[in-house]
Amino acid sequence: MAGSTDTRVAPVPAAPRRPALRVLLDDQRVIGWGFLIALLAVWEFVVIQAQISPLYLPRPTRVVAVLWQGVTEGGLATDLGLTLYRIFAGFFIALVTGVLLGVWMAVSKPVKAMADILIAALYPLPKVTLIPLLVIWLGTGGPFMLTISFMGAFFPIVINTVVGVQQCEQGLVLAARDLGANLRQIVLRVLIPSAVPSIFAGIRIGLGISIILVVAAEMVVAKDGLGARLFVAGQLLDTELVFAVLLVLAVLGILITKGQDLIDARLGLWRTN
Amino acid sequence: MTTPVIDIRFEDVRLAWPTKAGPPTVALDRMRCALPAGKVTAIIGPSGCGKSTMLQLVRGFLEPSAGEIRFVDRRSGQSAPRPPMATVWQGFNLFPWLTVLDNVAFGLEMNGMPKAERHERARAALAKVDLKGFEAKYPRQLSGGMRQRVGIARALVMRPEVLLLDEPFGALDAQTRLVLQEQVAEIVQETGATVLLITHSIEEAILLGDTIFVMTARPGRIAREIEVALPKPRTLADLKRPEAVALFEEIYDLLKDEVIRAMTGEGEAH
Repeated sequence: MAGSTDTRVAPVPAAPRRPALRVLLDDQRVIGWGFLIALLAVWEFVVIQAQISPLYLPRPTRVVAVLWQGVTEGGLATDLGLTLYRIFAGFFIALVTGVLLGVWMAVSKPVKAMADILIAALYPLPKVTLIPLLVIWLGTGGPFMLTISFMGAFFPIVINTVVGVQQCEQGLVLAARDLGANLRQIVLRVLIPSAVPSIFAGIRIGLGISIILVVAAEMVVAKDGLGARLFVAGQLLDTELVFAVLLVLAVLGILITKGQDLIDARLGLWRTN
Repeated sequence: MTTPVIDIRFEDVRLAWPTKAGPPTVALDRMRCALPAGKVTAIIGPSGCGKSTMLQLVRGFLEPSAGEIRFVDRRSGQSAPRPPMATVWQGFNLFPWLTVLDNVAFGLEMNGMPKAERHERARAALAKVDLKGFEAKYPRQLSGGMRQRVGIARALVMRPEVLLLDEPFGALDAQTRLVLQEQVAEIVQETGATVLLITHSIEEAILLGDTIFVMTARPGRIAREIEVALPKPRTLADLKRPEAVALFEEIYDLLKDEVIRAMTGEGEAH
């Protein structure tokens, strides 16, 4: 009975017929990719016409060729794998510990007081400045890389978790208590889920910083990984390989950003009540 | 369900908060009243009169500063533990990341009930509020009236002995409210639970209540206790009967003075 009064029917506007080309040009993705391809075409054309030395600016087609060669023969895939491993190993430790500490801070005032002062001191510090100290303590191997990517992701995740939990609607906590949830259940089933969008915003920032730090650290101290390959290629004036590695990093960036966008879209159900 | 046997008694309950400067804020003072088992008690009063505070005290989310809330088994006259309770909230308070079915099953899950069993009971509760077929939806996909019916199902599925309704129709538009009020009157009658209804609406209090407490502005006291003798379950049409109209006027006159007193600042709203 009440169903009929509550159900809202959204009228579907009839789509006006438009020429196929217009529809195509209105698509944001078509515009984006079209622009990129046009840019590359101009680049290729200008380099050939002006006879620019590949030492300064290689042609996009050459960069792709060198990239392919690097992947098939030069072990670039191994370097990519190593870099990804270094980024994500530290990142996942930061994710777990960051969320745990963030929740603990949000529910316990003494913990928040203690952690706040440390975070205030460490968070604004550019993490690259810690590379020398970490090399002294940990050397340049796995533990060092793990620590550096951990440091990048940890702070944004902690801070966003605290904010997310504190912004949890008090009514939801009351409702959970009313339905018999104990403190542990309230934390796991109400506080953390309601903080998920905020935690995810922290993940976005944190993962970005981890990528920067790992590649930078590889350039400074590592013998393998994308950062090291980039640095060595630069030293040898192998500009084509420099561009090839940059291309890998750019594609990696696109994949990670788009992947996050996809997850973000699924989180829509958290945002509106 | 079994007939409720626990009366809820406020015995000289006081609730006050200290303020930084000056005298403490007194929400309730020397509150003495009884919510009889199996009856619907409606509390109506101006904003800030402490009516929601009374609900929180009954639920145990607030502790009285003085006096006590007693639960008394009416067969023996002895004190009893707090009976199982469930609340329907003005703001719905549904978990936006859970489906309608999981929202309704939430309390049973907290009690450790296996999935199949709790889902079966949640489905039955949803059918009772006419939401069959909406199990897999998320709260944001429902209208306000439907969300509140999920809220009602979520409380009913706990089979509470005491049902607390905290301005359950306050956030709904007028038409939805009318339909839902009647439906809830019927459901409440069917469960036979002890009900505490907090409301701003005189019609709602008459529609649902066996007894109506009209409260004064802060500090909250009961200005008048009114028995509603109309037969139950009542429909909106019953509100047009002469007895109901007379009740409405009586409550309206009492409230008008209190609302004006509250607005002119003798008791500031929270």
